[in-house]
Amino acid sequence: MSPASSSTAEVVLRCEGLGKVYRSGFFRIPYVGLEDLSLDVRRGEIFGFIGPNGAGKTTTIKCLMGLQAATSGKAELLGKDHRDPESKRGVGFLPERPYFYEHLTAREFLHFYGSLFGLPKAVRAARIDELLARVQLERFADVPLRAYSKGMLQRAGVAQALINDPELLVLDEPMSGLDPMGRLLIRDLIFEERRRGRTVFFSSHILADVELICDRVAILVGGRLRGLGTVRELVGDRIKHVDIATRVTAAETELPGEVIRRDGDAVILRVGPDDTDRAIDRLRASGAAILSVTPAREHLESVLLDEVQRAAPINQKRLGVLA
Amino acid sequence: MQLWAIAANTYRENIRDRVLYSIVFFAVLVLCASLVMEEITIGDQDKVVRSVALGAIRAFGSVMSIFLGIGLVYKEIEKKTVYTIVSKPIARWVFIVGKYLGLMGVILTMIALMAGLYITLMLTQQGPPALSVYESWWMLTVELGLLTAWAILFSSYSAPITAASFSIAVFVIGHLADDIWRFGLQAESEQVRQIAGILYWFLPNLSVFNVHDLAVHHLPIPFTQLVHATGYGLGYTAVVLSLAVWVFSGRDFK
Ligand SMILES: Nc1ncnc2c1ncn2[C@@H]1O[C@H](COP(=O)(O)OP(=O)(O)OP(=O)(O)O)[C@@H](O)[C@H]1O
Ligand SMILES: [Mg+2]
Repeated sequence: MSPASSSTAEVVLRCEGLGKVYRSGFFRIPYVGLEDLSLDVRRGEIFGFIGPNGAGKTTTIKCLMGLQAATSGKAELLGKDHRDPESKRGVGFLPERPYFYEHLTAREFLHFYGSLFGLPKAVRAARIDELLARVQLERFADVPLRAYSKGMLQRAGVAQALINDPELLVLDEPMSGLDPMGRLLIRDLIFEERRRGRTVFFSSHILADVELICDRVAILVGGRLRGLGTVRELVGDRIKHVDIATRVTAAETELPGEVIRRDGDAVILRVGPDDTDRAIDRLRASGAAILSVTPAREHLESVLLDEVQRAAPINQKRLGVLA
Repeated sequence: MQLWAIAANTYRENIRDRVLYSIVFFAVLVLCASLVMEEITIGDQDKVVRSVALGAIRAFGSVMSIFLGIGLVYKEIEKKTVYTIVSKPIARWVFIVGKYLGLMGVILTMIALMAGLYITLMLTQQGPPALSVYESWWMLTVELGLLTAWAILFSSYSAPITAASFSIAVFVIGHLADDIWRFGLQAESEQVRQIAGILYWFLPNLSVFNVHDLAVHHLPIPFTQLVHATGYGLGYTAVVLSLAVWVFSGRDFK
């Protein structure tokens, strides 16, 4: 298992009571973007950060990276106060919907960012070739970013996040705007970074990916932390329902479950986990053939939807909570 | 190294910008047109040509300072390129000063280009320029350094249109500073005198850099004036840049 499974592993990203109150408009009306967020990300973890639109994921990341000043709480990156520019030395960051200098080619752009970390030219050149290959942009290395498509920019963004060979990667929606191959590429890249002992903290709306690759997940709803743990801890082992594929005889009229698909005599029935045995017995008694039995586990998606529902009343208080 | 990287990128960005070329194109056009005047003016032709050509260099330099300066920081925030810079191990002052130095590099390149053209024209038409012409370019550089610092200050908290208005206001008031002072001292009302006094001390006095007439007439510029104006310009620039750093450091990026 990854070192993350031991809770004694070093903390590389820590938030303590982090909060952000936005004040906008002429009357400076307060709006809580993030409230009292405390969490630890440990070395070697892949940590997912999920929540509906407007939950405060980007707000958290911007505060961490020093793009916005948190209005309360504190945070540490690699053991240093996040407001200290030096805390960013070992961090790679990909912003949401990244924009870069359009007048530069991908290679020039990566050279520029590498020099911001003080990397010598030879080191940069070697690393840039390697990174461009990793995000599959070698063919476009000398094309100005102006001419890049959305997904290509996203890949260039991932490459710049890796230019300093960071110990901690902070990615805001790294899979957005990517084609299925691109998503797979990012997934592999995240795995690869973990294999090398790196830590990855990323936000995403693609829950299937989060479920697949994250060691731990935090759920943010309405600016508040609503869940934190491994996917298994959050989702549980609970079986939601069982889908039985069967071939029924023509005589069959009453089926022991909800028909979710019917194609001639091929039927898929959905039954509760405790009704499975009974349903199969009845089907077989009536002469139907059982083709497959598939249990469906809970997914992160339903956990998230539940949390959103439960948070609804809290969410309404978010506006003007300080008034 | 970081300072240099940011300055170099700013330089490259502006040099690759087409807007710059239209400014250069017009500058070259005006400089060449001043030659034609040699043919059509009567009286002290040489001086008229020198006045128009040197005036053109000053005018294009100021336009460049203001119009490249006002977008310098704002554009980075608007295009979100600042996100990936500020999140690197870089102090915010490095960003502002780096951008400033990069743009000054561009402005210096342009002044050098126009000066080169001027010298070539003079050598073919009138003979070599006097020392005071070169000194006037140094004064222009210091003046544009100050003007650019103001433009960056405005650029770090407001949109280009507002920043342009403020910068132009600074430019105009700066050139009228001596007049404001003189006019203010003669005013009847005590309040007007006080306001004139405050304006005089807070706003830049760009007239100290104005040695246009001396340069045109090839008259020597007093050494004390050069030293005084240079010290004033550099000191004032440092103050305005510090203000820009302070404003930029307190900013949230949306
Ligand atoms: N600059 C700002 N001024 C005022 N409110 C803001 C500002 N930035 C964000 N907000 C508000 O804070 C809340 C959280 O926004 P945030 O961008 O963090 O959401 P998110 O979780 O990243 O959402 P998404 O999934 O859409 O990216 C939103 O309701 C948003 O309207
Ligand atoms: Mg977001």
